[in-house]
Amino acid sequence: MSKKVLIANRGEISLRAIRACKELGLKTVCIYSEGDKELKSLRFSDESVCVGPADPTKSYLDAPTILSAADVTGSDAIYPGYGFLAEDHSFAEQCNLSGFKFIGPSSQTIRQMGDKITAKSIVTKYGIDGVPGFDNELPDNEQEILKIADEIGYPLIVKATAGGGGRGMKIVRSSKELINSVQIAKQEALNGFGNDVVYFEKFIENPRHIEIQVVGDGKGNAIHLGTRDCSIQRRHQKLIEEAPARDVNKKKLDEVLKNCVNLCKDLNYEGVGTLEFLYEKECFYFLEMNTRIQVEHPVTEMITGFDLVKAQLRIALDMPMTLNQSNINFRGHAIECRINAEDSVNFIPNPGKITRMHIPGGFGIRYDSHIYNGYEVPPYYDSMLAKIITLAGSRKSAIKRMLSALDEFFIEGIQTTHQFHQKMLKDEKFIKNQHTINYLENEFLKNA
Amino acid sequence: MSMDIRKIKKLIEMLQESDLTEIEVTEGEEAVRISRKSSNDIVVEKPTSQRKVEATVSTETRETLVSGSKTITSPIVGTFYRRPAPDKDPYVKVGDVIDAGQIVCIVEAMKMMNEIKSEFSGKIVSIEVEDGEPVQFSQDLITLE
Repeated sequence: MSKKVLIANRGEISLRAIRACKELGLKTVCIYSEGDKELKSLRFSDESVCVGPADPTKSYLDAPTILSAADVTGSDAIYPGYGFLAEDHSFAEQCNLSGFKFIGPSSQTIRQMGDKITAKSIVTKYGIDGVPGFDNELPDNEQEILKIADEIGYPLIVKATAGGGGRGMKIVRSSKELINSVQIAKQEALNGFGNDVVYFEKFIENPRHIEIQVVGDGKGNAIHLGTRDCSIQRRHQKLIEEAPARDVNKKKLDEVLKNCVNLCKDLNYEGVGTLEFLYEKECFYFLEMNTRIQVEHPVTEMITGFDLVKAQLRIALDMPMTLNQSNINFRGHAIECRINAEDSVNFIPNPGKITRMHIPGGFGIRYDSHIYNGYEVPPYYDSMLAKIITLAGSRKSAIKRMLSALDEFFIEGIQTTHQFHQKMLKDEKFIKNQHTINYLENEFLKNA
Repeated sequence: MSMDIRKIKKLIEMLQESDLTEIEVTEGEEAVRISRKSSNDIVVEKPTSQRKVEATVSTETRETLVSGSKTITSPIVGTFYRRPAPDKDPYVKVGDVIDAGQIVCIVEAMKMMNEIKSEFSGKIVSIEVEDGEPVQFSQDLITLE
């Protein structure tokens, strides 16, 4: 009797999961909120269960209601997708304790990697280091302070421990300015937060965002599926992603890949995961690890031919699966554009009804989406509408193919980021692959 | 007919919402054909055998039921039970007149028994779910007038 998977998510990722389950002969149950009850992709699953009102805290984030839905449908496993409860370690634990296999890493691994400080302390044992800094209280002796700063290197930031959100930070570019900057930072911190404790961190001025995809079988074997470059971001939200990351120091990269795989092997990492880094001046600085499938997984799938979602299901449900690094081949270049229900200039969210639309197609063009003509984009959830992905022999060709796909694609009735993507794909700096994570907000949008 | 009655209901809905005149579905060895004879009447039949099950769905009758009636819906996902325990009597039955706040049924979720209280007072016209059937959020449970 084939197993039944409850898909505890919505939108495009739930459709992605339905498709993967179907291919593996698994039965599917989709949960949905009242805000999503018209969603046509629900009809592709074998069963569907309304779990609550549109408010995500009472539906997609409501663990008891999701577990109850798994119970009444007799589900064997729960697929969390991304966002919502995907990285909630206590949800993972509750699933497993209630007899539903949580499709993902163990609750302990989710918890450890979910905490930035714990994650850093774990990965550093494998030679994976974060942004260098000095976390302890600074000594009073000026000479000692200068020495600590020298070890970190310039430019560095003096940060107030009690600060946050960009407040209480001073950028220092040379040792000449250091002592003065520390004194001013301390004074400002005292005035602003009532606490003058400051610490140092190397200032990574203009990095690229490069991440590494890993897969582990939960039994000590793990592989990597290469890199992705996700530097085009606005307010830390990715808009364009690519695989592989080009123009990266090969020796350094091989070292990082090796370390990531060793980490996963030792953790007996189960399922898929991504380690995110800042990359500047040929150095990788660890940011965090995401213990789930990522939105941009298609670009990795396109260049490797490896189905990441089927792998998640196979690994969790003990279906035959061999993870062999030598079987992974990288071919070509893939780009993904996230089309959001947001205005192309101001990025203001734009829920509403899609009155007309046309989907792109053709050789090397992949389209992952839950939307359709007549769809009412609900205001309660994230604004992502569709992912358009192109695969070609080179980065240049993938860009051309994406422009062609974006020309065919249109959505009417709501504003979307479609035009933004068309502009960025024609941007000279982007085409030369010289952009960094600050490019979109600091230069591109200012020049628009 | 051994095919799930909920699936058949869903197929009838799909037919009503579309311009199709007929839907035929095969599931393993079971098959069912649903066709529209006139704008209101829908016939459900098993194409491979002589037996015919007629489910006439008339839009007029549904509207009469809806106006002036109140429905108690499920606030959670779970299993619907009419009785507090298997050996006890059901909380309510068709024809009973109940008050707002009265317990009418139980929806069990993950082994927790949740007593469902009626928001309305009135006379029970029909019970929409079979005892022991799973229910989803906002599913109709009991109709009152």
